[in-house]
Amino acid sequence: MKTIYKSIVIVFFFTGLVGCTDDLTKEPIGLLTTDQIDSNPTILTLESSVSSSYQLLSSSLNLIGDWDWDGGAVLRNDFILQDIASNDMNKKWNPDGDQAWMDELNDFSFTPENGAFNGIWLYNYEGINRINLGISFLTNEEVIQMVGISEARKNQLLGEAYFLRAFYYFDLVNNFGDLPLLIKPLESFEEAFDVATRVPAAQIWEQINSDLSAAKLLLPSVKFPDAAEPWRVSKGAVISLQAKSALFNENWSEVITRVSELEGLGFYDLNDNYFDSFDVNKEFSENEVIFAYDHRSGETPRKGNGLCALLGWGFVAPTQDFINAFEANDPRLLYTVDVENQNVSKILGNTVGDNKGNDDSPSNKIYIRYADVLLWKAEALNESGDYEGAVTIINQIRERARTSPTADGSAVPAGTLADRPNSTDRAQIKTWLMSERRVELGFESQRFNDLKRWGTAKAVLTGLGKNFQDHNYLYPIPQGEIDKSGGTIIQNTGY
Amino acid sequence: MMKKNILYGLFCIWAVFSVSALSAQTVTGIVSGVKGPLPGTNVVLKGTSTGTSTDFDGNYSLLNVDPQTVLVFSSIGYLTKEVSVNGQSVINVELVEDSQALDEVILVGYSSRKKSTLTGAVSVVDMSDMEKTRVPNVAQALQGQVAGVLVSSSTGAPGEEIQVRIRGEGTIGNNNPLYVIDGVPSRDISFLNQADIKTMTVLKDASSAAIYGSRASGGVVLITTKSGSVGKIKFNVDYYTGINFASNLPNMLNTEQYMNTVEKAWDNSGRTGANPYTADKGRADFADTDWLDELFETGISKNLQFSASGGSEKVQFLMSLGYYDQDGIVISDNDKYQRLNYRTNINANLTDRLKVGTNLQLSYSTQDKLSSKGDAPGIIRHALIRPPNISVFKDINDPTYSERDPFTDLPFYQHNNRDTGGWESDKYEWSSNPIALASFTDDKRTTFQTFGNIYGEYSFLKNNELTFRSNLGFDLAYIHNKRFNENFGDDDGGGNDLDQGLGRQNRPNNLNEERGEARTITFNNTLNYAKTFNDLHDISALVGMEYIENYSSSIGASRARFGTTDDTFRYLDFGRPDVDVWNSGSASENTLFSFFSSATYVFDGKYMVTGNLRADASSRFSEKNQWGYFPSASAGWKISDESFLSDVDWLSNLKLRAGYGKLGNQEIGDYTYLTLISQIDDKVVVNRYGNEDLKWESSTQTNIGIDLGLFNNKLAMSAEYFEKNTTDILLPIGLPNFVGFVAPTFVNAGEVSNKGFELSLNYRNYDNEFKYSINGNLATLKNNVEKLHPNVPNIIGNVTRIEVGQPLNAFYGYKMVGVYQNQAEINSYLSGTLNPNVKPGDIKFNDLNADGIINSDDRDFIGSPIPELTYGISLSSEYKGFDFSMLFQGVEGIDRYNDAKKILDYDSRPFNYTTDILGAWDGEGSSNTIPRVAFEDNGSSKVSSIFVEDASYFRLKNIEFGYTLESIIGLQDVRFYVSGQNVFTVTDYTGLDPESTDFMDQGTYPSSKSFLFGINVKF
Repeated sequence: MKTIYKSIVIVFFFTGLVGCTDDLTKEPIGLLTTDQIDSNPTILTLESSVSSSYQLLSSSLNLIGDWDWDGGAVLRNDFILQDIASNDMNKKWNPDGDQAWMDELNDFSFTPENGAFNGIWLYNYEGINRINLGISFLTNEEVIQMVGISEARKNQLLGEAYFLRAFYYFDLVNNFGDLPLLIKPLESFEEAFDVATRVPAAQIWEQINSDLSAAKLLLPSVKFPDAAEPWRVSKGAVISLQAKSALFNENWSEVITRVSELEGLGFYDLNDNYFDSFDVNKEFSENEVIFAYDHRSGETPRKGNGLCALLGWGFVAPTQDFINAFEANDPRLLYTVDVENQNVSKILGNTVGDNKGNDDSPSNKIYIRYADVLLWKAEALNESGDYEGAVTIINQIRERARTSPTADGSAVPAGTLADRPNSTDRAQIKTWLMSERRVELGFESQRFNDLKRWGTAKAVLTGLGKNFQDHNYLYPIPQGEIDKSGGTIIQNTGY
Repeated sequence: MMKKNILYGLFCIWAVFSVSALSAQTVTGIVSGVKGPLPGTNVVLKGTSTGTSTDFDGNYSLLNVDPQTVLVFSSIGYLTKEVSVNGQSVINVELVEDSQALDEVILVGYSSRKKSTLTGAVSVVDMSDMEKTRVPNVAQALQGQVAGVLVSSSTGAPGEEIQVRIRGEGTIGNNNPLYVIDGVPSRDISFLNQADIKTMTVLKDASSAAIYGSRASGGVVLITTKSGSVGKIKFNVDYYTGINFASNLPNMLNTEQYMNTVEKAWDNSGRTGANPYTADKGRADFADTDWLDELFETGISKNLQFSASGGSEKVQFLMSLGYYDQDGIVISDNDKYQRLNYRTNINANLTDRLKVGTNLQLSYSTQDKLSSKGDAPGIIRHALIRPPNISVFKDINDPTYSERDPFTDLPFYQHNNRDTGGWESDKYEWSSNPIALASFTDDKRTTFQTFGNIYGEYSFLKNNELTFRSNLGFDLAYIHNKRFNENFGDDDGGGNDLDQGLGRQNRPNNLNEERGEARTITFNNTLNYAKTFNDLHDISALVGMEYIENYSSSIGASRARFGTTDDTFRYLDFGRPDVDVWNSGSASENTLFSFFSSATYVFDGKYMVTGNLRADASSRFSEKNQWGYFPSASAGWKISDESFLSDVDWLSNLKLRAGYGKLGNQEIGDYTYLTLISQIDDKVVVNRYGNEDLKWESSTQTNIGIDLGLFNNKLAMSAEYFEKNTTDILLPIGLPNFVGFVAPTFVNAGEVSNKGFELSLNYRNYDNEFKYSINGNLATLKNNVEKLHPNVPNIIGNVTRIEVGQPLNAFYGYKMVGVYQNQAEINSYLSGTLNPNVKPGDIKFNDLNADGIINSDDRDFIGSPIPELTYGISLSSEYKGFDFSMLFQGVEGIDRYNDAKKILDYDSRPFNYTTDILGAWDGEGSSNTIPRVAFEDNGSSKVSSIFVEDASYFRLKNIEFGYTLESIIGLQDVRFYVSGQNVFTVTDYTGLDPESTDFMDQGTYPSSKSFLFGINVKF
């Protein structure tokens, strides 16, 4: 009897111990460790690591979170921070209390908790972190060797990657000033707290410039480096962003040099029809767009433009002041907004109201187009004393506008958008330039940045009864970032 | 008969071999109780383990009895009786029912203990007492029964999840208790059939729950299912059917009141031009719809139970079949819950040392997943907000009317024709038609679950003191979710090219199917030793190991644009194969391996100590931190057995108990300690930054208790005080967003304390023909966050905030102090604000820092979702054939955020309102509690105390009246009963149901009031 129960006891502990040692370490299902990528990388990982960073430029809904309105994360919200804040745009056609946080941007009653700041911060930094991961793979010689990617493809992907990082930092530094600077993936979660400190904006600009220089060397001198995927970053986009960076730093000669360099490529021109840049049927076949996010319907995963869904709910309307800014009969007004039918044609990509309410709309989101670039040059020429050159460009833009076929087919009366006369009055030319930019680039999320860099935001907005104060030249760091960093991120003054 | 003979033969052979000495004397007799013979009563020679048990008819026979010895008769539920043989050869005994069943043997985890020697906080719910609650989910049977156990349902929809909290919210993560069903742990008990449960034992404190170590910090509920007993075969049939109604519905405005209100709101909003609502008043195409009345109908529930049980001394069995069917209170019968349960239990004593047994439960349930709460689509929410001037159905002559979709959608819609006024959505809002939503819902969750165990038990040593038990448990669940989103509603001009002209709801139609499998295997082995030395020293000890492996996987697919949408075509094949085709699949697994031991020593039945130790290793932690150790100790002193109290007749029981222990928690996702990168959908992103140092969360708990029994235990009382401190909380810390959108990293940080006092009182009087008992219990709770992570000063929810010094998830926002009566008041109150965007009639918030500006600095804590007091009172009585019982249950000191009130009464869009709004501010001095109606923000867009309501309630949960006819027409018992549930509720809460568990109540499916009629037959 004794031997039986002794043996049972032994068996019972033995079975236990064997089970223990084997089964307590489980390989994660469906997720990769960095070791796995380092030891067995695939070309798909490299390609996807770059393309996944592009996504943050889209207006697709719920890229991050699930209807996180309060966190400002439902879609990329440049339209709130640029167009609503600058009083070009109202939240809705009929004012109501829905998404009241958007209204706070309009009347400058916001606090750092406002979701708009968190949203743009999150989208840009998510883009940066995704591309940092991509750059870490693409600059890892061992990984490159193992995958066997061609040198040309690697260079192109890396060039795109450096541009994207510069693009996101560019948006961040203009909105927030000094920033935490991350240029490689975190090694551990604790490192998140080590990098939780704001480095001076000058250092961010340095990073932007060095990334753009690197990108320019890596990308080929063709309009579309990948003809099958014309949405990818091109050399033209890199040079344009270099010019824009110079513009924002008021380095006028650099602006002129860069824009001339772009002109030298010969890839871009003004379209005959103002609306062609936005027309959903002419995407990548027109001449003007330099960098855009390629929204498409019916893709898996989704790549549609979700801003059109908001239009269906009555969001995005012009202010009277914006409408008044257009000179009489300017065809650009109806191409921007169809007040009568409450359509924002520029966003819908058509002038008949199609896709309004469609959360999977095909219309692209345009970030850089040639008319914008030309106006930078005009501004730089004016600032550096080439008044004639400046006025010439402004008139080029005006001429294209007045000669465009109108949205409703009506004829443009003679005298509409007449050429600006030659002038040597820098201030006068600047005034022309400023109003030209407003109407030419209306609802393209450029306006608030323009007002800020011109230093006119306070005068313009307080003149409209808004509560704009000096500290509003920078937006507040999202409160959550200050809370989560344990206080090492310091808020902008005034908030 | 044949079988019985064989068993009998086997019994005889065994008897012959086991008897080794010749009898000195033979004693026979019959043991009976109040209701007749008592089969299965143990008859033992005192001081030995020699003995027998009675047969079907209560007969026993003992050979070899010393004429001077004493026989001990014991049976569960009866007072043990000792009779001296004194040479008698026939001893008939009548046992008396134990009014408090103190020596009831109860399961405390891997082993059983006598209730009288327990030292921890353990409550037993006997389900035979609970039969009268008639709940669809077993967990609901605990409601109001046990002090310190809070049971609530997330909504009143049939089949909805039930939330159980034992001694409060201990952690920021998972607070659900661990359920152990016949020795097999489970995180869910919704598949169980109430009629199959014998007892539920709640292990509340650490000293009793520590034997379940790593998973016990939310408390443990041990569930023992019914088994057959020795005796002739018994049949039990129970059937009831009931009707359910919605109750506590708010009063909504009718069309006339609504039009007056929106007219005023328009006037109040500084709009220019003619008031469109004034012009619309009395329009011929206006309806006067009471949407709530249209939405709710009478629900029906049915329940049929059948069981057969019985057995010989060798083999006992029980089999049961149950069917439960509930059609909820929302129209269209797309809110049904059905469950079919089958169960068998067999126990066999193969020899006097070897015992084997098995339990098998099959459960098949189907739940309609009606959108019972929340915003989108939120059927209940839309019934609340949809304006009353819109009719339910379109006019049959309306060109957009169709037989398939006769419902109104966009208000007064005429073919998307905005020019001729056929587009009034801006005027009467974009609500959905709740009747249409309910009617087109086709969302079924089907679960097939196999749950069971098989065990063998072998006893060693001379008197079987040492028992080895091996138990293999399995839990296999197959889940199938199928949702067809039928396209309906009006064309609002949206949709992409493929879908032009379709209605706006579910555009295009689509089908989602998902099939999942979850498999848990539990294997545990225990060695259990129990012996009494010299009648004074009771020793029991246990060692064991347990291995649990869990694997779950799922696949899913979806297609859209089905050409034919009849039920017979709602399968993936019939959707469009080229666009919007989705599929998915994933899996996860984890294992847990444990050793445990427990020892108890009782001296003379008066002094008792128990110690437990468990060691668990989990795959959810990195190798260096896999093991966690969970010790506990407790002691008890039964003062009433001391000689100095032996003369105090009225004191039947007085015991002091104290315990201390440590429990664990590992309820986080798998692999969370690793940094992982996900590569799906053309996306390569860091999923989460891991933490290799992650380890178990632990909670230590101190418990002090006193048990008191008076007057032969007619009056019994238990009181407990506990302190529970959870440390190293598995806290997900959201990293700053500048590292990207990553899942929070889990760290061990933070501390939450719960302190409370629990009292239960029980009075029973079975002495007379009128038998009755009254039970009452109450528990207080103080929950406090003691510490958080240095980088996480607070955890912010939509309307809640977790912060040190506050209860978990306290509501946080602005505090309303009144309504601005005039511009002068605004100007002086908001002195620091340039151009305040506020008008008279708006909500006035407390300016906490008195700077004349209302901004985020003025927010404060405005309520707690954790109840301070929970209680239950039950009453049961019988007189001759009649019986009557009631259960009251309630909570006090709890707040809820009534978000539905925001969109109803204070929204800036022309939704419908409750009649409360008729008292809204309308000029100076008119109201200081309800702000003006307006189509602009009146302050209601801020999270504020105006939406925080006291959700305390007192509810008559159950009332039942029955009559039993004994022994008629060959049947043993026939009982008829009528029963009412949720008969009335006393509450100040204005939402639909104060019991719902969401922090934000956006309009939930209410608990229904129901009346049942049933019959129970035993034969």
